[in-house]
Amino acid sequence: MQFERKELSNGLVLIGEINPSTKSAAVGFFVRTGSRDETPEINGVSHFLEHMLFKGTDALGALEVNEAFDRRGAQFNAFTSEENTVYYASVLPEYLLDITELWAELMRPALRDDDFDMEKNVIKEEIAMYEDTPTFDVIDRCRTLHYGPHPCGNSVLGTVAGIDALTADQMRRYFARRYAPNNMVVACSGNFDWGRFCATVEARCGRWQPQTVDRLLTDFEGTRASERLGKPSLNREHVCLVHTGVSAQDPRRFAASLLSLVVGDDFGSRYYWELVDKAIAEAASMHFGPLDGTGIFYNYLRCSHAAVPRVMDIVTGIFRGLLRDGISEDELTKARNKVLSALVIKNELPMGRLVDLGFNWMYLGQYRSVEEDVEAIKAVRVEEVNTLIRELDLSRFTQYSLGPTAA
Amino acid sequence: MEQKADRYVLNNGMVLLGEPMGGVESVAFEFMLPAGAARMPEGACGAANVISDWIFRGAGDRDNRQLGDALDGLGLQRSDSVGSSHLSFGAALESSNLAEALTLHADAILRAHLRDEEFMPARQLALEGVLALDDEPRQKVMVELRKRFYPAPLGRSTVGEIEDLERLSPDRTREVAKSCFDIGRTIFAVAGKYDFDAVCGQMESLFGDCPGPGSEALDIGTREGRYTHIPNEGSQVHIGVMTDAVPFTGEDYYDIRLATSVLSGGMSARLFTEVREKRGLCYAIGARYHSLKDAAGIMCYAGTTPEKAQETLDVIVAEFRRLAEGIGDEELDRAKVGLKSSLIMQSESSGSRAGAIGSDHYMLGRVRSLEEITERIDGTTVDSIVEALKRRPFNDFTVVTIGPREVRVE
Repeated sequence: MQFERKELSNGLVLIGEINPSTKSAAVGFFVRTGSRDETPEINGVSHFLEHMLFKGTDALGALEVNEAFDRRGAQFNAFTSEENTVYYASVLPEYLLDITELWAELMRPALRDDDFDMEKNVIKEEIAMYEDTPTFDVIDRCRTLHYGPHPCGNSVLGTVAGIDALTADQMRRYFARRYAPNNMVVACSGNFDWGRFCATVEARCGRWQPQTVDRLLTDFEGTRASERLGKPSLNREHVCLVHTGVSAQDPRRFAASLLSLVVGDDFGSRYYWELVDKAIAEAASMHFGPLDGTGIFYNYLRCSHAAVPRVMDIVTGIFRGLLRDGISEDELTKARNKVLSALVIKNELPMGRLVDLGFNWMYLGQYRSVEEDVEAIKAVRVEEVNTLIRELDLSRFTQYSLGPTAA
Repeated sequence: MEQKADRYVLNNGMVLLGEPMGGVESVAFEFMLPAGAARMPEGACGAANVISDWIFRGAGDRDNRQLGDALDGLGLQRSDSVGSSHLSFGAALESSNLAEALTLHADAILRAHLRDEEFMPARQLALEGVLALDDEPRQKVMVELRKRFYPAPLGRSTVGEIEDLERLSPDRTREVAKSCFDIGRTIFAVAGKYDFDAVCGQMESLFGDCPGPGSEALDIGTREGRYTHIPNEGSQVHIGVMTDAVPFTGEDYYDIRLATSVLSGGMSARLFTEVREKRGLCYAIGARYHSLKDAAGIMCYAGTTPEKAQETLDVIVAEFRRLAEGIGDEELDRAKVGLKSSLIMQSESSGSRAGAIGSDHYMLGRVRSLEEITERIDGTTVDSIVEALKRRPFNDFTVVTIGPREVRVE
């Protein structure tokens, strides 16, 4: 495993982790932009723009773009979050340079009016689809409620009305501000030639002009509000709780991720034994969501409407118990084993490795090998997790529930 | 990279398969017991889901909590599932913990306590799983589609039926578990970093004393109606469409796989192009080949707002039918490279290899090498695919919709 890095004169950073023993390679363009970088008038533009990049350039139409990816057997896609837009592909080594060049070309899209109008329909369908997916919807709504006035509460998808009102010109202006070379990282992992990779990216991206790019990086302790929405289409109660967490840059992030497993892993956690094993809730989990300069834990619970008071009693009892007694050495050992084994399995695939490689650079500006992350996880002590519990005060959270209307 | 296949059969018929992989520290394993949804007795749909939970609530000399803690300490990424034919228990983990994980699984499979007081929560979780599916129409529509497309009991719900689950008693469920946990017809697959001699030795001592195989016979009934609408006041109409195709074991299998890729293999494939790119009807649209041992189909999902539902269905059906009119050379080339690339990339994951070799053995009685699959993919031509499509045209479609509006099905 060998790490390489290069910065072009316009600020574009290229990083690579070369592993000649893999049968594939993965490449990603990581753009530091997402819904938190939007104003209310253009909410949803980051995600819509991600779709528009697939519509091609002045030289390439949308159908040609799709064909160009498929001709090389690429498994490719993109995603947009509150703060990142990531374009990625995994391919056999012989196609890596072609696909890298294609992505680089697409990073300077045409943003044609007719494509924009047609894709609006698809975006609105995507919004409708997630409205019918309560497991997603409730977490999204709870994050928005938790962050209140803070931009990390902005919806990634936006609303149908907002998307209807959005213009292609607004999108072009947003694109010009955010897709600057100094606001992006190009990462590659797996079996590939570093020199040729750099030459390919440089030829396409070397003349892009840098911009002044900023982001509001305040932290926010959360509103701790509580809301419920009834929907006639639902028969279960979907409850999301959001706690204040720590940021992606915070050294306590390893302790935070272990804590989330102790409390809410799918199997063997406190939620599992207190709620799921006893069939009081059918699903109960906790995840750590580190962000740029801020962070949250989100908890998801699914049960009958009638069971909610009992479930919440148990959950708040678990939080009180953690605050009073902390976690045990045995719990930490188990959580550590789970994280380590997940880390090993995920990083055996170039695509799994690409995500950690890219995000470590985006958030920390540093390369971290799998071994370094393994050591950091192994080094976490019970007392660090217990200190974190006291500092964060898990007894205070924001709550959003989706459930049946008749309730 | 040379591909190696390990195989060993215990005296009672249990098949052990392995595929060693270089350069990985992980190992994945899967037990495939012939206890899938279609194997449940009439009136016990969902029993497999209860059993898969119940057997881990205490086994051997460990109670529920002790067994849970022991499994939990191994850092397993568990992947248990109920399919039509099999109930599968699997996991990926660091290879040094494999022997211990197998011992614990053998306890659960052979020496589960199945105590009355642990039955109620196991059944309750299965029931709640069925209720939760109502809130996920995207998944529910495909469960309902398979139920109506495949002749009973092959398409039975893999989550279970409320009425059946409510009628299950501990005694009845114990009986079902006893008759379905047929070790002589169980397939065990392992892939990644492992020592096959050690695995065989351990499996022999864990499972070697179990009796030989029981009967595989299954009474196949008839297929249910062509169109079903399930009303739901959600935002979209969720559309499931399925049509007959040659099964995995059939002569035309590779031709139909390639035809499915032309239809929906990548973003340049026909469904994505016609439904999403040109008409903006859907966000989620896709079709895939789905095969049981003796029956198969191509299943398609689309989600769209009510006013676009009819046009979406019409375009989908037209695209299925248009395939037999001809396929372009470039389209086929893209389909081939897409299938081959995904095959090679999946072969880097121990979990997907363990699943693939187990399923190959069940379907074909042998494991195909990547080389064989690649050759067969390369061997298809536009003519061979069109001929295969004409031999078995897409005439009949089973359709299920969930949402605020019905569609017309011709």
